[in-house]
Amino acid sequence: MPLVFTLAFRNLIHDRLRLVATVIGIVFSIVLVMVQMGLYLGFGRMVTTMIDHASADLWIVSTGTKSFEDPSLLDTRQRGRALAVEGVADAIPVVIGFADWRMPSGSSTPVFVVGSDLRAGGLAPWNIVEGRLEALSTPNAVAVDRSYFGRLGISGLGARAEIRQQSVRVAAVTSGIRSFTTTPYVFMDLDRARAHTGVPSSKTTYLLVHVAQGADVDDVRARLTTMLSGVEVLTPDEFRDRSRAFWLFGTGAGAALFAGALLGAVVGTVIVAQTLYSSTKDHLNEFATLRAIGSSRRYIYKVIICQALLSAVIGFGLAALVGALVVHLTAASALPIVITPTLSVSLFLLTVLMCVISAVAAIMKVTRIDPAMVFTR
Amino acid sequence: MTDVVMEAVNIAKVLGSGPAQVRALKGVNLTLRGGELTLLMGPSGSGKTTLLSILGCMLTPTEGTVHVRGACVSGKDSETLAKLRRDQIGFVFQSYHLFPTLTALDNVRLALDVRDDRNGNARMRAREALTKVGLAHKTASYPRQLSGGEQQRVAIARAIVGNPSVILADEPTAALDSENGQAIMTLLAESAKDAERGVLVVTHDPRLLPYADRIIHIEDGNIVREQSRDGTQKLREILERA
Repeated sequence: MPLVFTLAFRNLIHDRLRLVATVIGIVFSIVLVMVQMGLYLGFGRMVTTMIDHASADLWIVSTGTKSFEDPSLLDTRQRGRALAVEGVADAIPVVIGFADWRMPSGSSTPVFVVGSDLRAGGLAPWNIVEGRLEALSTPNAVAVDRSYFGRLGISGLGARAEIRQQSVRVAAVTSGIRSFTTTPYVFMDLDRARAHTGVPSSKTTYLLVHVAQGADVDDVRARLTTMLSGVEVLTPDEFRDRSRAFWLFGTGAGAALFAGALLGAVVGTVIVAQTLYSSTKDHLNEFATLRAIGSSRRYIYKVIICQALLSAVIGFGLAALVGALVVHLTAASALPIVITPTLSVSLFLLTVLMCVISAVAAIMKVTRIDPAMVFTR
Repeated sequence: MTDVVMEAVNIAKVLGSGPAQVRALKGVNLTLRGGELTLLMGPSGSGKTTLLSILGCMLTPTEGTVHVRGACVSGKDSETLAKLRRDQIGFVFQSYHLFPTLTALDNVRLALDVRDDRNGNARMRAREALTKVGLAHKTASYPRQLSGGEQQRVAIARAIVGNPSVILADEPTAALDSENGQAIMTLLAESAKDAERGVLVVTHDPRLLPYADRIIHIEDGNIVREQSRDGTQKLREILERA
C-alpha cells in the first residue's frame, strides 16, 4: 500500500470523532443533493410519461403548446391534410381534458381524461393488471390506475361512477400510471372522451403521426410543417423537452430542486473543508517534519487530497445506502425519487469534487508551513 | 584529508524587524568534513538553532552562502532546497518528530518515500536501517510503544536510510537519560565513520565531548573557538569557564 495512502488513512482514523463529523457532513450533503436530483428526474419522467408511452413518430400539436396537459385544440380537418402528406401512414387523434368524476357516494374529484382511437394504436393505457385493453371499446368502459381507487371511491374492476352525468364502468385496471398533478388519469375511447370533456368532434388535442414504413421521419416532418398551418410538428424528444421545460422551469419547480441541490453541495463542501482544515492544523507539526526531511509540496498535497478522497469514498458509500433506502421507500409514492446510473456516477464525482475543493483551505495552510519549526517544537 | 561535505561562508542572519531586530549570526564560517563528527556548542540564544536551520537549508541567510557537496544553495527556490534536503541531508531532532500513526518501519520508509524511492527494496533498506540502530525487533511498533531512546534511534534510522552526505542533529540526547544518550551518540559517531558523510551535533551536554572529532563553540552569533580531537581537554576547560 502506498505510504501516502497509509499516512492519509491513519491521519483520518486518528481522530475518529472528526472523521464521523466529516462523514456525516458528506452523507447529509450528498443525500440532500441525491433527493433533490432524484425528485428532478422523477418529476421529469412523470411529466413525460404519456409522451413516452404514445406510439407516435411525430406529434402534431397546436402552435405554442407547452406540455402534454395543455388543452389547446386543433381542427380535425388537419387530420385529413396530414394523411394526404406523402409518408404519413396514419394520424391518430387524441383528446385530453379535465373532468369531474362523481363517485357512487355522491362526492366528486377531478380526473384527467385521455382518449384516443384504441384500435388504431393511439395512446392506450399500459401495465394493465386487471381487465383487458379491448374491453375499453365496450360501452362506458374506462381504465384507471389501482393506486387511485381510494381517490376515485371505487373498489376495482367493474366499479361504476359518473363523469359529466354520464355513467362509466371500470373495464381495465393499470398499475403505476400516476400523475404528477395527483389528478388521476382515466383512459377511454376517443368518442367517449369527447363526450366527457366537451371537446367537439371538429376538434382534437393532438394528432399522433405514424410514418409509413421506409419513409424518413425528418422528411415527413418537413412536408407536414409546409402543408399544415397553425400547428407545430414535434418529434417525441422535442415534445418531451418542451413538457419538461414547462413543468420544471416554467413553474420554478426545477429551479427550486436545483437550488436545494446546490445548497446541499455548498453545505457539504463547507463542513468537509472545516474538518479537513482542522485536521491539517492538528498535524501541522508532522507536515513540517515531512517538509524538513525534504518532501516536496506535491507530496504533502497528495496526503491531504488522499484524506479528502478517502472521506469522499466513505461518505458516498454511506450516502448511497441511504439513497437506495429512499428510492425503495418512495417507489410507490406520488412522486418517486429516481436515481439513474448516470446520476449515481455524477453524485460520486460531485462528492470527490466537493472533497477536493474542501482540501484547498488545508493546502493553503500547509503551503505557508515553515519547516524550521521542527527545531523549536 | 577527507572531503568537505558542507561549508558555510560568512553567514549572517538578522531576525525580526524594527526595534525588535536581532542579529542572530554575525559572519559565521564553518566546514563539515566527511568522516567527522562535529559538536556545535553554545549557550541558549547563541545562534545554534538559527545556524542549524540555515545549514539545513530551511532558512535563508541574510548574508553569506552555504555549499553542499560543493554546490552553492543561495538563491534556490524552496522546492530545490527540499530536494537538496532529501538527497543530501539527514535530520535528527530533539523531540524525535516521528509520525505517531506510523510504525517504526513506515517512519523510516517515509524518508525514502519522499524521494520517490518506492521500489521493492525500499522496505528492505528501511529494515536494514532499523537493524543498524538495534531495532530490528521493533519494526511494527508505533512510537507510543517505544521508549524515548528507541524513538530517537528510529529517528536516526530515518536520517541515515537515504545515505545522506550530512546528518544534522539538534540536541539529540537532551530528552534522554545518560545510558540512552550514550547509545545515541555511539550510533551518530558510527554514522560519521563513513568518509562520505559528516555529522554535526548541536548540544549543551559536555558528556558528548568524547564522541567529537571537532568541537565548535558559538557565542552571540560568532564562532569563538574551534578545536580538533587533540584539543578536547582544552575545550573542557573552555566549557567550564563558560
